[in-house]
Parts: sequence; structure tokens; C-alpha cells
Amino acid sequence: MSELYQALAQGLLIGATYGLLALGMGLVYGVSGVVNFSHGDFISLGMFMCLALYSAFAMDPYVSIIITVPLMTAIGALVYIFLIRPMVGHQFLMVVQLTLGLSLVLQNGILMVFGGEPARTPSFVESKLIILGDTVLRLPHIIAFVVSFALAIGLYIMLRATDFGRSIRAVHQNAHAAALMGINVGRVQVLTFALGIGILALAAALLLPGTPIQPNMGLRYTVITLLVVVLGGMTNFVGIMLGGLIIGIAEAFGTIYLDGPIGLLLPYIIFVAIMLFRPKGLTWSSAR
Amino acid sequence: MLEIDNLVAGYGGVPVLREINAKIAAGEIVGLLGANNAGKTTLINSLSGMVKPISGRILFLGEDISKLTPQARVELGIVQVPEGRLVFPEMSIRENLLLGGINAHARKHRPQQMEKVIGLFPRLGERLTQSAGSLSGGEQQMLAIGRGLMAEAKLLMLDEPSLGLSPLFVQYIFEIIDKLHADGLTILLVEQNLNLTLRHARRCYVLERGQVAAEGDAETVKNDPRTRSAYLGL
Repeated sequence: MSELYQALAQGLLIGATYGLLALGMGLVYGVSGVVNFSHGDFISLGMFMCLALYSAFAMDPYVSIIITVPLMTAIGALVYIFLIRPMVGHQFLMVVQLTLGLSLVLQNGILMVFGGEPARTPSFVESKLIILGDTVLRLPHIIAFVVSFALAIGLYIMLRATDFGRSIRAVHQNAHAAALMGINVGRVQVLTFALGIGILALAAALLLPGTPIQPNMGLRYTVITLLVVVLGGMTNFVGIMLGGLIIGIAEAFGTIYLDGPIGLLLPYIIFVAIMLFRPKGLTWSSAR
Repeated sequence: MLEIDNLVAGYGGVPVLREINAKIAAGEIVGLLGANNAGKTTLINSLSGMVKPISGRILFLGEDISKLTPQARVELGIVQVPEGRLVFPEMSIRENLLLGGINAHARKHRPQQMEKVIGLFPRLGERLTQSAGSLSGGEQQMLAIGRGLMAEAKLLMLDEPSLGLSPLFVQYIFEIIDKLHADGLTILLVEQNLNLTLRHARRCYVLERGQVAAEGDAETVKNDPRTRSAYLGL
């Protein structure tokens, strides 16, 4: 029984951050129709930036975000303006190719600078544990959960109640009409992409404590994010957060209850099973 | 107010409009007629800045606006109510109206402007929280016009406002258009429906294959044989 609680708690905590990762991708897809296959490599980039800042200034990852978030946001804006924007509106596959290429560039760039050895970035909370009955929770996971949910709620409010948020939704629903309202559609697309990458910098710091990092781990995060976004129905906010929790829990169950490869496969098996019955995502209802 | 001077415009360098000359005076209601594919929508999209001119000029209040972005033109008060209404279906009526007034110029006056729009369309005011996608076609047209007014339009360009509406709603929408005109708003009415437009617009331009085939006051245009040929393609 205690194992069950352990798996559930661990899955929920990490799942919230997966949901946050996927919200960034979903927003970008919603306003630009771009699926960014280098998403996960930007997470690695964020993590290695934290590592660099630790090596140089002994900076804790949670402090590094003061630097990594603005930097990654700016990188996101530049990548969109100079690489992705010229491709948008042409072949969808061209954009996929481009972001896959970008993924390789990022991966190998990180490899060149940091080498291929797994590295760790210590944090002051890294080894702190919180014990609730039989369940042992790691403090970094709790921080990740709380911050991810707070950010998700903040994003939700931003989308509902601010002019910028309404512009994002307007561009998503009808870009032509949005332009006729006087919304600068190109600017909204750049800012959304930059925001999506900026969120990754935060998520990177949340996922980092206690996790060994390697230059080639980006693809795994990209795949997880894609699973979550597809489960959530691409642009459905609540669906995406729910999808994050499901994939997080599936992953925790897989590692705790099952041995070896099967355990690692569990999130994918569950994903396929859900897609068989709800091909348009979790929140899709047949009535509409 | 608006002067179109030898405008050539189209898509991908291929002209759709060829040397259009037209004028709209302040407070006027002008009809833009023509069959399908005559270039009506391309013309108002050129005025909105959604289609870039190949040559020629567009003057608004004496200023050349032909190089301005769509946003800059909305801020000047050149506002389009697009064909097919294009309301934001997953947003409420209120949010649609707020988006109508999102440009830098209109943003400050949104509460007052919204009261005016609700005064004009009480039906919208009764269901501000309802999603726009759940409205009937006629209600969506009201919302699209209301959304255009939120932008503090000086020149309101209506693209096919009667399209797909029941006769009762068409009559209602055109009463509203007359009312806006009476209040001093300058209106460009783009319509396929010849008789309806001639009843409401003082002056008309008839487009045929991207060129002005006939122009003048409603009576002249009605009796001009070129109007008939533009419609029947004879």
C-alpha cells in the first residue's frame, strides 16, 4: 500500500512539471501551428546553463533562473524570428525538419562544450526529504509541483483576463480576424514562442536537482512533452495539465512496480491505450 | 476621407485589382458591387492592409497609408467587418467586443464604447457571457459589427453583411447600417446583393474582373448597362 502512495505522489509531483512543459508546446502550436521537436533540447540547454552557472559561480539552480529565464526567452524569440518564421506557412514537414535539425545542433553543441559525461548540479534542497506516514517525498519534487501548478494557474489567468492572453487566443481561433482587430499576429507568435522557451528554463531548474544530466537527454523530454500535448488535445489547457499528471503517474508506476524495459515503456503503453479509445485527446467529448 | 489612386494589388505579384480609382467622402455611405471574384474582398483587404499594393496609392485623411501595417490602419480608424463574420467562436460576446477595441487608440475608451455598442444591439448586452460560437448567424453579424465599432471606426467597411442571413435579419442589419450612417459614420458597403445596396448606398462602384466597370449615384449605376454586364458576365 505504501508503495502505491509513493508511486502516486511521485507521479503527481513530476507530472505537474510535465504538464507545464506541454503547456508551452501547446501554446506555440495554437498560435503558430508549429510543433517544436527541439523542445526537449531547450530543456537540456536550460539545465546545462544552470550547470555552467554552478561551476562558475556556485550558483544554486533555483537562483540561476534569474539569468536563465530571460536568456532563454531571448533565445526563443531569436530562434523564432530567424529560423522558424521564414518556414511557417510553407510545408508543415519543413518546420518539423527544421526543429529536428535544431535539436541535433543543440545536442551536439552541448556535447562540444560540456562533454558527454553525466553531470550533476547540486542544490541546497537536493537531499531534503519530507516524510508523510510511509511516503517519502523529495523536497525538489514538491517545489516543482507547487511552482508548476502556480505557473499553470498564472498562465490560465493571463490567457483569460489580459489583453495579451486574449490576443493569443484570438490568433489561435482565427489569425485573419485577429489581424483585422489590429493585433500584430507576428508579434504574438514571437512572444508566445519566447514565452514557451522561457517556461522551459524554469522547468529545467525545477527538474534539475538530483537528476544527472547528459547532452542527449533532450529527445526523451520532447517525446514526453509530445505525449502530454497529444493526450491533452493539443490546445486544451486543462487537458494538457491532466495529461501531464497521467504520464507522470504512469512513469512512476513503471519504475516502481515493473522491472527494466517494461517499466520504462509503461507511459507509452498507457498513451497508446488512451489514444485507441479517445483519439482526439482526454477532454474530447463525442457530443460536440 | 478615402482616396484610392490607381491601385494595383493582388497575391504573389499577380494583380487582381487593376488601376482602381475611387473616393469616399466623410459621412458618405458608398456601395461596392460586383459578382463573385470581381475583386471586392481583395479591394477591402487592400484598404485594411491585408493585401499589399503592387502600385498606386491609398490616401486616408490626406495621408498615404498604402505602406502601413494592418494594425496601424486599425488605429487610424479603418475597420473591416469581414465576410463570414469571423467572430472568435470560443470566446464570449464580451471578450469578442473587448478584442474589437484592443488597438492602442481605442483601448482606453473600451467601457464607454461597449455601452454604446450594447445600446445599439441590446440583444448582445443580454448575453455577454455566452460564447460567440453558439450565436445564430444574424446575432454573429451583430457581434461582428459591434466588434468593428469597438475599434472606434472612422471608416467602417462591411464585407457582405447580408450573406447567409434570413430576410428579417437582413432588414434589421441594414436598419442598423442606416442608423450608423445617420450618426455620421462613413461606411463602405461591399455587397453582392445589387438591389439591397442600391437602396441604402448613395453612391456605388461596380467592379468587374478587378476594374471599376461603372460608378456614380445609385440611380445612375442601376440604369448603367455595364452594371448588368458586370453581374451577368455578358
